Amino acid sequence: MKELLRLLQLFRPYWRAMLAGIGLSAAVVLTNVALLAVSGWFITAMALAGLGMGTINYFTPAAGIRALAIIRAVGRYGERLVTHDATLHGLAELRGWFYQHLEPLAPARLQFYRGGDLLSRIRADIDTLDNFYLRVLAPSVAAAFSVLLMTAFITLYSGPVALINLAGLLAAGLVLPLWAQWLGNAPGERAVSRRADLRAAVADSVRGLGELEVYQASARQAATIDRLGAELIAPQRQQARIDGLSSALSGLASRLTLWLALLVVIPLVASQQLGGADLAMIAFFVLAGFEGVAALPLAFQSLGETFAAARRIFEIVDAEPMVTDPSHEADLPAKFDIEFKQLRMRYAPDGGWALDGIDLKVAAGARVAIVGPTGSGKTSLFNVLLRFWGYQEGSLDLGGQPLTGFSGETVRSWCAVVAQQTHLFNASVRDNLLLACPDASQDALIAALRQACVYDEIAALPQGLDTLVGEIGARLSGGQARRVAIARALLKDAPILLLDEPTEGLDVTSEQAVLQALEALMIGRTTLLVTHRPQALRYVDHVVVLGRGRVLEQGKPAALLQGGQYLPSYASIN
Amino acid sequence: MARRSGPMPRSTGKALGVWLQSQATRVRAPLTAAVGVGAVDGLLIIGQAGLLALIINAVAIEGHGLRTVWPWLWWLLGVFAARAIAAALIETTAFEAAARVKLAIRTELYAHIQALGPGWARGQRSGDLTNTLVDGVEALEKYYAAYLPQMRLALFVPIAILIVVAPTDWVSGLIMLITAPLIPLFMIIIGKGAEQLNQRQWRRLARMSAHFFDAIEGLTTLKLFNASRREAEVVAHMADDYRTSTMAVLRVAFLSSLILEFLASLSIAMIAVYIGFRLYDGEMLFLPGLFVLLLAPEFYKPLRNMGTQYHARMEAIGAAEQIVDIFNTRAAENKPEGSAVLDNTKPLEVVFEDVGFAYHIDQPVLEHINFTLEHGQRIALVGASGAGKTTLSQLLLGFISPSRGLIRVNGVDLREVANTVWLEKVAWLPQRPTLFHGSVLDNIRLGTPDADIAAVRQAATLANAATFIDALTAGYDTPLGDRGQGLSGGEIQRIALARAFLKDAELVVLDEASASLDPDAERLITESIERLARDRAMLVIAHRLDTVRRADRILVLDQGRIVEQGDHETLLAAGGRYADMLGLYRSTPT
Repeated sequence: MKELLRLLQLFRPYWRAMLAGIGLSAAVVLTNVALLAVSGWFITAMALAGLGMGTINYFTPAAGIRALAIIRAVGRYGERLVTHDATLHGLAELRGWFYQHLEPLAPARLQFYRGGDLLSRIRADIDTLDNFYLRVLAPSVAAAFSVLLMTAFITLYSGPVALINLAGLLAAGLVLPLWAQWLGNAPGERAVSRRADLRAAVADSVRGLGELEVYQASARQAATIDRLGAELIAPQRQQARIDGLSSALSGLASRLTLWLALLVVIPLVASQQLGGADLAMIAFFVLAGFEGVAALPLAFQSLGETFAAARRIFEIVDAEPMVTDPSHEADLPAKFDIEFKQLRMRYAPDGGWALDGIDLKVAAGARVAIVGPTGSGKTSLFNVLLRFWGYQEGSLDLGGQPLTGFSGETVRSWCAVVAQQTHLFNASVRDNLLLACPDASQDALIAALRQACVYDEIAALPQGLDTLVGEIGARLSGGQARRVAIARALLKDAPILLLDEPTEGLDVTSEQAVLQALEALMIGRTTLLVTHRPQALRYVDHVVVLGRGRVLEQGKPAALLQGGQYLPSYASIN
Repeated sequence: MARRSGPMPRSTGKALGVWLQSQATRVRAPLTAAVGVGAVDGLLIIGQAGLLALIINAVAIEGHGLRTVWPWLWWLLGVFAARAIAAALIETTAFEAAARVKLAIRTELYAHIQALGPGWARGQRSGDLTNTLVDGVEALEKYYAAYLPQMRLALFVPIAILIVVAPTDWVSGLIMLITAPLIPLFMIIIGKGAEQLNQRQWRRLARMSAHFFDAIEGLTTLKLFNASRREAEVVAHMADDYRTSTMAVLRVAFLSSLILEFLASLSIAMIAVYIGFRLYDGEMLFLPGLFVLLLAPEFYKPLRNMGTQYHARMEAIGAAEQIVDIFNTRAAENKPEGSAVLDNTKPLEVVFEDVGFAYHIDQPVLEHINFTLEHGQRIALVGASGAGKTTLSQLLLGFISPSRGLIRVNGVDLREVANTVWLEKVAWLPQRPTLFHGSVLDNIRLGTPDADIAAVRQAATLANAATFIDALTAGYDTPLGDRGQGLSGGEIQRIALARAFLKDAELVVLDEASASLDPDAERLITESIERLARDRAMLVIAHRLDTVRRADRILVLDQGRIVEQGDHETLLAAGGRYADMLGLYRSTPT
């Protein structure tokens, strides 16, 4: 419920459009009911008048019937336009809001949500919330409104019929869908977990196709997949039965309502308390009225998903940023040397130490390589240095002043980073470069690309610097993308350079080109280079081997490669 | 499911529609039953209208009371019950049809993927294949459970109503006959125009969505450049642009629903007004007039519902695209099942004689590969990624066959040997070994399901895995979930090693993990590999200095050729490519 209020709060600027959409959808339903009810009344009254059992002014109802038909058609068109416009407004609002709230949390807070693939979950959740108004809010409010009006209208003819009709509408629109949903919970959960089992088995089988062949277990695995597939069908069958039953019962409810209404109205007509035409009118009215609650089952189904999505999105957004900036910024340092003293940090209060007493001194302008296996603390070192995370013990000084004296934004303005997972945006090469320096000139861009040894390749692309890169545009090769990122770092012209496996996964030629580009970049900058490539070690003065958050050994690269205890087994040659 | 990169051409959509239809022949019986029940329901609708008309006529016109109409009311109740049963039956039988199609397609699809083999699968994204096999196949359900039966009923029910209405009141029949075909016709005409607009819009939506999620994905990068706040405006701006342009499209796209509603509502109105005036003039009896008016909305109902069903079809077609793609892939050159026998008495000797391999004729992956691997020998392959190391190991495993030259095993051309016979002799440890759903025990005896526990324990001991397995909650019976949940990378590797020990193969192909482990785990694995190498032939795709030092011979691959071979000391002394790779010597210090 709390989520619902917050969601409504978010969409508040567009309440007029949303209300208009709801009004229109109720109007569409009601005109359809009116069209049929008036038609039924009209032909009966006309028949009675034709038989001399009454008189009728037929112009008004005849014109009314035609008008209702046209209003219904146009109203439906208008309803769809208005509700979609409101939805799109909401969509724009939602995205802007979400981005603004997410921004201060990245990347530290988001790390904790890695459980599922965070991004694809956000994607699905935002999509679900996009549909909140169209699928949940508008149909349910419109249905409530129509039901009230219809009940009020029939009360004018017969209180008992109004009650019967209300009960029928509630049964078909509220009770049965909720009952079906409740019944479907258990098989639904079973279906989800069996589908997950099937997915896991299929994923294993596809990934391990070769192992299954070598160990001659292919036929057994195929049988396992068949069995899991068949097991998934069982709960799905239950769900199909529940759905079938509930739609059959909803239909039955609407018809039983009509039947009971007939039982009440027929004696009233026989005793002339109501006219014959009223009987036909009420019959048509009751039958058509159930269209008003037809959208509710789907709305209830989406309601659960919407709340779950909203809860997750709010949970992300409500997190506190990991690092708080100081109220007063310290003075700018004169030089950029870095000193870790007995630094310890961990990601969770009850987790193990990711950095467990690091002592490391990097003089201004020095080049230091950091080598170590996965989980040894390399990335954590950068995370602390970039003020993405805080640390718990020890100290970290930058230019002789504690790092905590500077805001994250300030620290990051001094650091140029080339990461293993360099993100190039779905934009032109130019836009990607301008990110580092929004007012760089064309010449500056070209110079940076040249220095990164990638200019010739970019210039050879059909649209040169304006070529789109990333998912939508032409794909750059891994090496090209890495070098564009290096050009971007060059443009930033920061005094500290942080390189995280910049040549990982590149072929020999690209690696050579990237290393040469980096060599240019390192001149005059304090450089930390995370790598496990012996080739890259040629470019540094000092190498530090990390293991489990501690410094295992350090020294000159050549000496450690030959005689070190750890470096040879961590240096990857391919 | 992998998102499609854009709307597909009409012809592709049509072909996939045909494929989906053809799969329905597997389930003709339940599908026909579902449609049959639906048809009965259609007749019941007509009966319901008839009974209602009788009742209202008797009460409103003829002045009868409840007593007279009771029999009809009871009949009406019977019809209602029958309709409820029909509604439930349609849904459950149609589900059975869909379930059978799903099961059959999944079985055939996985069999096809197995036939294409690991050589093919290597070039595919395994996540995409998994999605197609699971979600893709599931996405077909609605097509068979809802779309197909409903579309057939959308034809039957209106025709049945028309047959009853036309003789009762030919003018109303004519109105229905004229307007009914107009509805799909207009929908198609407007739909075609809107489709182009729609496709453009589709791309725009994709772009806006991509941009938004791109910004989120790249948030860390944006922060590194202190550009994340600037981006917020862009995000808002793009979403707003998207709204404006979408509304322009929707104004056109919704026209089809306007026409649909207009025709349906206006037809009902015309029928009502027309009947009313003829009743007034005494040209018609009330009973047939009311009967026709009651049927009029039922006539248009299936046509109105066509839009929703269309969505189920589009979804199924999207899923079918990937499924059919896989079915249409043929194994490159299916290796004929050779019948040659291997001499099991001689120690193993594998000879590569001028072997070459290419996926495309003009882009050889491997060329002129010559070397011999004998029993008791350990050969390390080194070279940059893309040099051909994995392809070479796949040739040895028989996943692919040489395009040129041949591989001899104890003198016999490997092509002449059935894969099942050859792989009897081989154990393989890929870079990231796969643990399958099942217990630790099942996983170790993957190749020999009837091995006894003592043998499994021994294998685990040799793999340095026994200690940690015994420490697991259920020991050897501990279930292993998705990708060996709860086990570290090093433990997974040791289980895979135990698998290899248990198989006791003559040849071991080992693709060393590139991610390094912590020192203790590294030592346990190295030790176990040393043990495994003893008294066998071993080919290692090596990544670490440590590993190559221990090899008897190192083959240095570069762009598909062996450029150097020899042992560590020799190659280092030669100062060539190998020495350069190690980065130990460099003439000009930087």
